[in-house]
Amino acid sequence: MTKHELFERLSAILQETFDIEPSRIIPEARLHDDLDIDSIDAIDLLVRLKPIAGQRVPPEVFRSVRTLQDVVDALYGLLGSDSAAA
Amino acid sequence: MLEKLDRPWRIFATGLSFATFGLGGLALRLLFFPLLTLFVRDPKRQQRLARLAVHHTFRFFIGYMRALGVLRYELQGVEKLARSGLLILANHPSLIDVVFLISLVPNADCVVKASLANNPFTRGPIRATRYLCNDSGPGLIQDCIASVKAGNNLIIFPEGSRTPLDGNMQLQRGAANIAVRGPCDITPVIIRCEPRGLTKGMPWWKVPERPMHYVIRVEDDIHVSAQDAEAGEAAKAARQLTTRLHDHFLRGSQEHVGA
Repeated sequence: MTKHELFERLSAILQETFDIEPSRIIPEARLHDDLDIDSIDAIDLLVRLKPIAGQRVPPEVFRSVRTLQDVVDALYGLLGSDSAAA
Repeated sequence: MLEKLDRPWRIFATGLSFATFGLGGLALRLLFFPLLTLFVRDPKRQQRLARLAVHHTFRFFIGYMRALGVLRYELQGVEKLARSGLLILANHPSLIDVVFLISLVPNADCVVKASLANNPFTRGPIRATRYLCNDSGPGLIQDCIASVKAGNNLIIFPEGSRTPLDGNMQLQRGAANIAVRGPCDITPVIIRCEPRGLTKGMPWWKVPERPMHYVIRVEDDIHVSAQDAEAGEAAKAARQLTTRLHDHFLRGSQEHVGA
């Protein structure tokens, strides 16, 4: 999956789960400050990302995440490390 | 002459109230709770008796502040609190809101600021009552739901921190998430205080021009349906409920006392 596709999937999840308007969903948007994703939402988000990552997303991976681009990069890293292992 | 002395008296009486509160907390920690653990072995019973002790202490404390002339109060609809398994949500104008609410609820549980569990004056009661601390991470929502389901009356101030003086109220979504994911109906309580005192960002000795007049109104339950959580729509439902609560508390808190 390309980073672009990952971003599209993430965008769809944010709209469906948290009712966030598509216009606010840009790569630089910060989860907490711009999109008002709190710690409870973050857990929901991790659950929804699981099917995309193909594995349970460890919360540690998300600790340093601030923007949507960071999320995409983290997911991409997870997928990459997976295929490298396989 | 008496009028001239009123304000200095209330500054003194407010300071005395703080001192009494602190010493009361210490006395519970150093005298009462050690005796309780000595004579009552069952931890569940210890917790229940500790909570009951805090309830009666706070009841006394509110009466004490009224007798000192620091505040007056009116209660409306408090019979609705005489049930168990309630999720009690209130707005938060002043420092002693939780003292009022626990004085009205014998089996109260509440979510407290983690720093109070380390404060020497409040540590004893908070540990003995096993009130929930707000630093316990993602599990807090489930702990809160479990507390309500166990029959406690859980008190939460969704604002998280006192309403600023400009009235700009902001709600965290934790309380709504508890309600939606429980699901638990909400028992809303509107606390009004006029003139405002013991607010955020104002030192305690700046007492208002008249004694604080509290009106505490317990309202009818807000029903929360189980559907949203089941449909996986909990996050959205919690957002909508938070907006609804915000409007509700804002409207309620802006009515004038005595109107």
